[in-house]
Amino acid sequence: MKALIKYVLAALALTAALAPVYWLFTISIKREIDQFASPPLWFHFQPTWRHYAASFSDGSFARYLWNSALVASVSTLAALALGVPAAYGLARLRWPGGWSAKIGFWILSTRMLPPIVTIVPLFLMMRSAGLLNSRVGLILIYTAFNLPFVVWMMQGFFREVPRELEEAAMLDGDSRMGALLRVILPVVRPGLAATAVFCVIVAWNEFLFALIMTQTGASTTLPVGIASRVTQYEINWGAMSAAGVVAMAPVLIFAAAAQRYLVRGLSLGAVKG
Amino acid sequence: MIRGWRLLPCALLLAACGGTGSRPSLTIAINAGVEGDALKAAANEWAAHNSTRLEIVELPYANLFEKELLDLTSRTGAYDVIMMDDPWFPRLVENGSLAPLERQPDADFLTSCLDVCREPYRTGTYYALPYVGNSQLFFYRKDLFDRYGLAEPATWDDVLNAARKIGAAEKMYGYVMRAAPGNAAVTDFMPLYWAFGAEVFDASGRPALATTEAFDSLRFMLELGKYSPPGYTGFNADEVSAHLLQSTAAMSINWPAWIAAMDDPARSKAVGKIAFAQMPSARRKGVAELGAWLLAIPAASKNRERAANFLFWATEAAQLKQAALRGNPPTRRSVFLDPALRARFRSFPAQLASLETARPRPRTPHWNEIENAFGLYLSRANAGSVSPEEAMRRAEREIAAIVQRGK
Amino acid sequence: MTRSLQRTWPGVPWVAPAIALLLALSIYPLLYAIQVSFTGRAGEFTFSHYVRLTQDKLFLQALGQTLLYTAVALAIEFVLGFALALLVDSLPRGRGFFRAGLLAPMLLPPVVVAVIWRLIYNPQFGVLNGTLRAMGFNPDALTWTSGESSAMASVILVDIWEWTPFLFLLLSAGLQAIPQEPLEAARMDGASSWQIFRDILLPLLKPVILLAILLRAMDLMRIFDQIFILTQGGPGFATETISLYIYRTAFRFFNFGYAAAMSFLGLALTIVFARWLMRLMKVER
Repeated sequence: MKALIKYVLAALALTAALAPVYWLFTISIKREIDQFASPPLWFHFQPTWRHYAASFSDGSFARYLWNSALVASVSTLAALALGVPAAYGLARLRWPGGWSAKIGFWILSTRMLPPIVTIVPLFLMMRSAGLLNSRVGLILIYTAFNLPFVVWMMQGFFREVPRELEEAAMLDGDSRMGALLRVILPVVRPGLAATAVFCVIVAWNEFLFALIMTQTGASTTLPVGIASRVTQYEINWGAMSAAGVVAMAPVLIFAAAAQRYLVRGLSLGAVKG
Repeated sequence: MIRGWRLLPCALLLAACGGTGSRPSLTIAINAGVEGDALKAAANEWAAHNSTRLEIVELPYANLFEKELLDLTSRTGAYDVIMMDDPWFPRLVENGSLAPLERQPDADFLTSCLDVCREPYRTGTYYALPYVGNSQLFFYRKDLFDRYGLAEPATWDDVLNAARKIGAAEKMYGYVMRAAPGNAAVTDFMPLYWAFGAEVFDASGRPALATTEAFDSLRFMLELGKYSPPGYTGFNADEVSAHLLQSTAAMSINWPAWIAAMDDPARSKAVGKIAFAQMPSARRKGVAELGAWLLAIPAASKNRERAANFLFWATEAAQLKQAALRGNPPTRRSVFLDPALRARFRSFPAQLASLETARPRPRTPHWNEIENAFGLYLSRANAGSVSPEEAMRRAEREIAAIVQRGK
Repeated sequence: MTRSLQRTWPGVPWVAPAIALLLALSIYPLLYAIQVSFTGRAGEFTFSHYVRLTQDKLFLQALGQTLLYTAVALAIEFVLGFALALLVDSLPRGRGFFRAGLLAPMLLPPVVVAVIWRLIYNPQFGVLNGTLRAMGFNPDALTWTSGESSAMASVILVDIWEWTPFLFLLLSAGLQAIPQEPLEAARMDGASSWQIFRDILLPLLKPVILLAILLRAMDLMRIFDQIFILTQGGPGFATETISLYIYRTAFRFFNFGYAAAMSFLGLALTIVFARWLMRLMKVER
């Protein structure tokens, strides 16, 4: 009996979490007359794919999608490329005078900077470098954004790996970097995957920097594209919902696939790190 | 395995540094709304005829201003043509950010619309061309007025009277207005403010909101608010129009852009029942607020000549007629007098009369901040959290501080 | 010389590229911003921005609203998240399923969250008022984000929906990591659930709880995205937080110097707040 109550409560919580998401999805496939029908239609309506077609017909949304995908993936790769060696160096190599903790803390503290503090200088810097309204500019910013998180998480994972592993590899003639790539990384693959997924999600969802740094379709990302549909007068609910579903689908799919790693990754990073 | 993975980032990086085409291009920043839609359609046509690559950046009102301001002041040249609401003009034209027009606009344009395109106001060089000639109209339910023997409201007292009568007799609100702090509240309030003889700045340019006329006008607004739907202190344009469309309110100040929706059976429960009057008078003759949308060229644009060609083409009579059919009031007299359009839009005579005498909002580069502060206090007064006199006094102090800081 | 340096600091080349990027894109802009906060309109050195801060009632209001938002949202998210973590952890089967589903809101782009809730909250067309109307109530007075008095509560509700999963996740992870023996032993000794919770579970979870509260509090203090799309700080100023006021000052009123001064004060306050929180939990870090 007690178990049944628990399941009912858990199901209620799940419904509260997912109902709004489901509602967005229904708006995106409902005809205009059904969208604001009273009483609200949760299941009994005729679906239409018109809004999705309209969203992608003028080409701009496909562009935003591509920009988001590109910027998110490249910045994640860059953050991993810079952050994994840094995390390894901090976790494994000798640091006199407790500097390992100091540097680690300093790197993490840059993550605590509110974006609004650095946004104007970054805008001016990007403008001088000619990187305004460019995907490369956004990639640089997101890499710097995600780097502290990568270092923090991977440090925790590296500390879990027994030293004997790379020592054995190095005795066999491998360099330290080689040992890292060939022996250690495969071992921490779940943690690496979880970290990568988090970085992609953060870059994909980011709004403020994209809002300021992008000016035209050359670099505009999906979140900014969606926000620009929210007008002062009439809001095109259908198109906006369709865009919203497209924006959240990859995130949810990613998360569902990596759910196990996410929890394990966070628990290791949070509890041990 | 590692080797293959190494190729992927390189490929992605190359893709990220995507190149641009070699065709001539034009980038236009437009307002996300009915005004922008017409320009979008026109631009697509023009681009097709001139084999130009067109890039349209569509943004909501507030963000459009921010983006344009940022682009103009940092001279990034991201946009070749920008749409702007006329109150933004004094701010955006500062520091030579806009390119002066090389050709002069002809006399078919309405003077009230051309005046706001000049720096200094009315007398200086032209920096923009007017694209949408918006001036407020007074929307009222003629059928209900007839039913209760009321004539077309000529004064604000008439309006209050009608609101009282209709609100009591019918199951609807006599009046609806928007008082969301900021642009919404101020825009709807200005005609009332001016009608009572109040001004934002006095003859010497100092803020003058703590006058008896100003207090009276705000008190009147609160009185009208009693006959408005609750929550109007948070209303924006779409809430106001929704009430008119749903037939739950009988009168409001509104913009011509909404006329098409009012007569659309798919959206309106009051088709053909709404009439359009001039702004009611009080101590002074009623005058509508001007809300023209202008087209201008940033000085840093790399395609100034092409942009100028587009500007003059888009504001030709034939093009403005097309825009009118798409729901945008024109800025040329000849288009307002066009018989085909007059037959199609029953409100055109009222609109022309309103537009010819319309007043723009005070021409100051700080209007955005001033409107923000003014709107805040207006909304608070309507919400009852501060008295009308106190609201006006505080607004005046705040506006004086804003102007002072800007010096 | 390099060889002995390499022997004492072998990790430097590993860390150098990362640090270089952070110096360029995080530290340098920070220093630049400090300089801007002391720069007046004509480029001269001035304290005027900081002086103005002490008199700016709107800034104080934004600050107060940010603190209110943080306190209320954090308290509710923590309690709910903890309760959910305990609940899901105690389910005999299907834990992974529930965990995956409950995570969804926090992974969505904040923009999409704002769009969803604009749909829900719209007084005429939204599903909330629509459902109430269908049930026979008249929700005309419920203006949610459009009403000055209800806007803050509405916005906080969105935050609770979106971020309770975050606390749920962290606390779940914490629960999974604690050793089971003390709990088993206490249960066998006949201790009640409440006693186990208070005397064994809570102390063991203290580090995770502190981390969760700290992380969430810092993110709450600089909240921007959802409020920007939901209300743009409105109606009027009702939901204006510090980040929004800074944004407005910088990009609508174009006063970078004052915006920079405000963001530093905001940053300083956030750091003070964080240290106070840590002292409150009496944990050394």
